[in-house]
Amino acid sequence: MTLVFRLILIAASLLTTYYILKRIRQSKLQIEYAIFWLVFAGILVVFSLFPELIALFTRMMGMQLPVNFIFLFFIFVLMLKLFLTTIELSTLENKVKDLTQEVALLERERQETSIEGGDKPQEP
Amino acid sequence: MKCLIIIPAFNEEKNIEHVVENLQANYSAYDYVVINDGSSDSTAAICRKRGYSLIDLPVNLGLAGAFQTGLKYAYRKGYDCALQFDADGQHRPEFIASMIEKMQEGYDIVIGSRFVTEKKPGSLRMLGSNLISVATWMTTGKKVKDPTSGMRIFNRKMIGEFALNMNYGPEPDTISYLLKQGATIAEVQVRMDERQAGESYLNLSRSVMYMMRMLLSILLIQNFRKRREVK
Repeated sequence: MTLVFRLILIAASLLTTYYILKRIRQSKLQIEYAIFWLVFAGILVVFSLFPELIALFTRMMGMQLPVNFIFLFFIFVLMLKLFLTTIELSTLENKVKDLTQEVALLERERQETSIEGGDKPQEP
Repeated sequence: MKCLIIIPAFNEEKNIEHVVENLQANYSAYDYVVINDGSSDSTAAICRKRGYSLIDLPVNLGLAGAFQTGLKYAYRKGYDCALQFDADGQHRPEFIASMIEKMQEGYDIVIGSRFVTEKKPGSLRMLGSNLISVATWMTTGKKVKDPTSGMRIFNRKMIGEFALNMNYGPEPDTISYLLKQGATIAEVQVRMDERQAGESYLNLSRSVMYMMRMLLSILLIQNFRKRREVK
């Protein structure tokens, strides 16, 4: 790995961390989610500062090339995260649906009681 | 001083009657509201049948969202203080008076603490509590003896701040964050009972996850947050 490439990696991972921290600071992110991204950014920084670690893990897993380990590791982590996000998204969609129906049903109930109360029926 | 007791309840059909009846019979000086957090059991039905003061959430929001609903209500109705109170019968209302008294000395938050004068037992759960205490002390320089106590009282200023902001769950990490920001927090000795009936949400793996989340949040994330005070 050339020095320039290493410096680019370090700069990129530090910038990523800074960006994530900034968004947390502006409270655009819930803490539950912030924890994952902060740990993720931390791993990026550690890997870029100490590439020997990657070589070590590569040997431990019996793989040939460090780059393979990197790809395997990050694809797997991101895949898991994506899957969990999909689950959260489904839950969320379901909740929004329930809420919308609840509001609509309440509105309907309100109309029905006001009609029973002798008011004029409302035009749709 | 107008005080509202907020009782978030998720699947507490076995306990809610006992808790609310006790408040109504012996502590009617305080207003209370049950926040049913989208329970799948008959918690809401029991409250309606018995005529309890109830806010019924149509979906499950989790403790933070449910409690915040109560605080929004307290904020709109102009309450001076709000108390977080468990629906499972662990908390004893006889200690509310001393907590309010303490708050009137000028504190933002008063925690009903099990360990002001009494010693912490050496159980696994208390190890977690100790870890959170240490993390809080490391980041704020202040000691909170019972950070995981769920019996807390908030003054008007805190009600507004909790009601209108994101990431203000009623949890130890928020306490630590506010301490760091200069909020004043006191602890008052209380006794607590065991949960009366039903199952606790916190099993072992959930407890471990909870601890991890709290520690990471206190040690890492709270340092970067920017405060938005409510005037």
